Amino acid sequence: MIHLPVSKASERIFKADPNNAPTHDIREELFQLEREGELEVIRVPEPYMEVRTKHGRMKKIPLEKTWHHKSCGQCGHIPGYSTSIFWLNRAFGLDYFDPTDQTSCTAWNYYASATSNPAAQAAVAVRNFAAAHEVGYFPLIHCGTSFGHYKEVRHALVHQHDLRRKVRDIMKRLGKKLVVPEEIVHYSEWVYAMRDRIAERQTVPMDMISATVHPACHYHKLIEEDAIYNEEIYGAQRSAIITGVLQKLGIDVKDYSTWFDCCGFGFRHILVSRDFSRSFSVQRKIEVMIEEANPDIVVTHDTGCVTTLDQSQVAGKAHDKKVGLPVISDSQMAALAMGAHPYKVLQMHWHNTDNKPFLRKLGLDQEKLWAEFQAECDKIKAGKMDFLTWEDAEK
Amino acid sequence: MANKMVLDLTYNKYADVTYDEKEKLFEEAKSDGRWDHILYGCYECGICVAACPSARFYDFSPRIIAQAVAREDVDLIYTLMNDSIWDCSQCFSCDRCPRQNSPGQIITVLREVAVRNGLQTAKKALEGYGRIIYKIMSTGSQVSPDMLQPDAFPDWGKHVHEIADNLDVWRKALPPETLHTIETGWKVDEKTIIELYLIWHMTGVMDLIEGIDEGLFMILVDVMEERLEEAGYDVTFD
Amino acid sequence: MANQNILIIGGGVAGIEAAKGIADLGYKAILVEKRDRLGGNPDEQQYAALTPDMRDTETALNEMMAPILDNENVDIRYNTLVTGASGEAGNFKVKAVSMGKEIEIEAGAVIIATGFTHFDPGRETQKYGYYEHDDVITLTDAEKLLKAHNFVKPSNGEKPKRVCFIQCVGSRDRQIGNEYCSKVCCGISSKQAIEIRQQLPDCKVFIFYIDMRMYGYWENEIYWPAQEKYKVNYVKGMATEIVKKGDRLLVKGEDTTMRRPMEVPMDMVILAVGMEASEGTKLMAKYFGVKQNKYNFIETTGGPLDTVSTNVPGVFAAGACTGPADLEDSVSQAGLAGMKAIAAIRRNQAVPA
Repeated sequence: MIHLPVSKASERIFKADPNNAPTHDIREELFQLEREGELEVIRVPEPYMEVRTKHGRMKKIPLEKTWHHKSCGQCGHIPGYSTSIFWLNRAFGLDYFDPTDQTSCTAWNYYASATSNPAAQAAVAVRNFAAAHEVGYFPLIHCGTSFGHYKEVRHALVHQHDLRRKVRDIMKRLGKKLVVPEEIVHYSEWVYAMRDRIAERQTVPMDMISATVHPACHYHKLIEEDAIYNEEIYGAQRSAIITGVLQKLGIDVKDYSTWFDCCGFGFRHILVSRDFSRSFSVQRKIEVMIEEANPDIVVTHDTGCVTTLDQSQVAGKAHDKKVGLPVISDSQMAALAMGAHPYKVLQMHWHNTDNKPFLRKLGLDQEKLWAEFQAECDKIKAGKMDFLTWEDAEK
Repeated sequence: MANKMVLDLTYNKYADVTYDEKEKLFEEAKSDGRWDHILYGCYECGICVAACPSARFYDFSPRIIAQAVAREDVDLIYTLMNDSIWDCSQCFSCDRCPRQNSPGQIITVLREVAVRNGLQTAKKALEGYGRIIYKIMSTGSQVSPDMLQPDAFPDWGKHVHEIADNLDVWRKALPPETLHTIETGWKVDEKTIIELYLIWHMTGVMDLIEGIDEGLFMILVDVMEERLEEAGYDVTFD
Repeated sequence: MANQNILIIGGGVAGIEAAKGIADLGYKAILVEKRDRLGGNPDEQQYAALTPDMRDTETALNEMMAPILDNENVDIRYNTLVTGASGEAGNFKVKAVSMGKEIEIEAGAVIIATGFTHFDPGRETQKYGYYEHDDVITLTDAEKLLKAHNFVKPSNGEKPKRVCFIQCVGSRDRQIGNEYCSKVCCGISSKQAIEIRQQLPDCKVFIFYIDMRMYGYWENEIYWPAQEKYKVNYVKGMATEIVKKGDRLLVKGEDTTMRRPMEVPMDMVILAVGMEASEGTKLMAKYFGVKQNKYNFIETTGGPLDTVSTNVPGVFAAGACTGPADLEDSVSQAGLAGMKAIAAIRRNQAVPA
């Protein structure tokens, strides 16, 4: 062994000092504004778990009484993603709320086309927060774009009193109050907080699986101090989100040199400048993952990222690029680990890149499971049942 | 879309537009409530470019945009507002700026100015995007199951055909009650939609839409005014 | 009668120089040092060569210390940590723990020379991965390797073929809060680049920078020779990420000359970490009631025209405890502080007790 006067990375330990954080604690600023009568803060209900964020501060993650702020893209074309989040809550017998009094955050449109303005965006956000507060639940955000945007909105409301006044007036005309949650919480932070309990209830072993992780830009780059960091994961130099969960499930998380890169979603690009999204996600993410890590699957935690990484591989294949990595969310992986049905719950048939090899590698009888789902579909087609219920899905 | 591979930054690119006109747009951007928190100074370090995905695909540089606005170079800013800002993928990797600029948010503000003023290049950039605007404005949901049509996503392959063919059954084969929908992502209350329309009305968002696509504006306004009237609101968007 | 001693807190470059000057003028200096040896950061961090003249640090420090080691006017107390202070100009009473015992030192004037600490790269805004990658090191790590004449990769002990420096780590950054420039890192990196090229002639060396801060003679003594004689590659453009690719590191930045993103493989990356106020500086400021600036350095009251006086009469500060300082600054300030401390003592002599 070489003896050098310089340490190796494994010997270097980084400790963030929350008292030395370079930013103001926005939650304290919110409470100050509440004291001044400017707005009302929705408190995180108990039971909650505290997790460490970038500068060493602790963030409260509610475990129950969550109001599920759904994602357009998930519900629209990857519904297994939303379903898996609900399934996890049900599996633990947690009290949660799935609202119909919810609008899109409208941020995808905002980042794509700028056909909006800060007042409209803030009013849409606060309307949703108020709707959650009115039924006594705490907002849990399903989408990375919504999460990032709501952090931006919170920041704007705290620092611009003109905007607060405008939004307060709008809310008044709708019979609502200007409310802001104590924390903006992403569902993947909930999955992270629950990871020990999920691992305890794991029935499908995953030690033979390797995965690459893709963190959403709007989770860990936009107002980055709010993201989860853990000294034991990546030396607290990168967010521990998703990785923390997969490691608990026994999955071998493999690194690759474009970990920090955006997936190429682009908001507008995925819809009207698609060559950018396709090229970027295939050449900067998927190909690099395959070449350097060769994982069984890619796991991410945002709607846009799942969409871009998954769908772009079709065009990639047509150009003879090295593609073929299935893409799912951390919630789907967690649910699968706990025995959720890949088709009735995870709804894997909505994903594009072939995920059958992955299911088979786990030791699941993919054909039998698909047949079970088909049987349910046949019942619906034949008019014997209207919908697949939770009871059917959990059988 | 024309193949504009190289960004033309020469000063005579938009010589036909008056300096006053260009300056007016820049002043509008500067007067935005966010401006003082998103633009400080720039020491041209290039960290924003280093982290930027669009910089690897387009001849696009968030550094040049930040430098242009920091120098208040009105001519250059006008060129960038037309030819460059729509390449940004709004990922905010550039928020790593050590001066604490946010080129991404600067671009968001510049885009809003472009849309508000009906710039031709803004309209061109949003061509083909109209159906999304229609969806989000009228239903409060950006993506709905019925949008998964092969002609809308031809490069997503035959899988989209499979989904479109089975859409009706597959949507019913979803356990969550709120997802048994085709025209919206999830079931939304009527009252919620009305509140959304009122927000658009009170914040002047429909004017922005009128600026970039008058036809779309008229269709949307019809739908919204009718629904609002049914709910007992006497509101017009004009 | 006012106390004639001058207490110097900190035995680094500034402290040593101050003690020497005070002794030379016939006054008594009490020099307290928390470690068991003098020399401050250059000694503790095992600097190889000094900037800019490339003199061997150990030799230079020994030369500097020699006059005070056996000097009847200099009372050096090793392993001594100041724990509190009271009193005023002419009559300071300073509590300390010395070799495990609690003591009290009386002094007529005090010079705080508690130096600086290096920025911890874990707090850096950019993703440099110091805590993830063995071969990402700091300037101080590099000094140790250079001093040992064993400049190799920590990961496997092999000689590197490509090394780069990244400037301004922890400085000039509004997000971290250290908005200032740390003054010495451009010079030190260039000096180390020259040393690497001397020790490993086959190794290519790059420096990624925002601006090259080469004041005065550093321009012609370090910068030009580094480029012209040693072919160090200076690239104007910053790096934002360092990731592992295969068995090398990949540095992602922009080459602003080429106006496009660059991704370059490196064997080792040296982070030019900046200066921050040390724990000792923060504590002394508290004990003596001395004003600090927003970066926690001691605030001197005269701007560029008085670099050593603090808001507390009789208490002076010298060296990097006042802000980023190079050796020339520290030595010069130490001389000035020594002079003003003596003047303060002499003024107090005229005043009846």
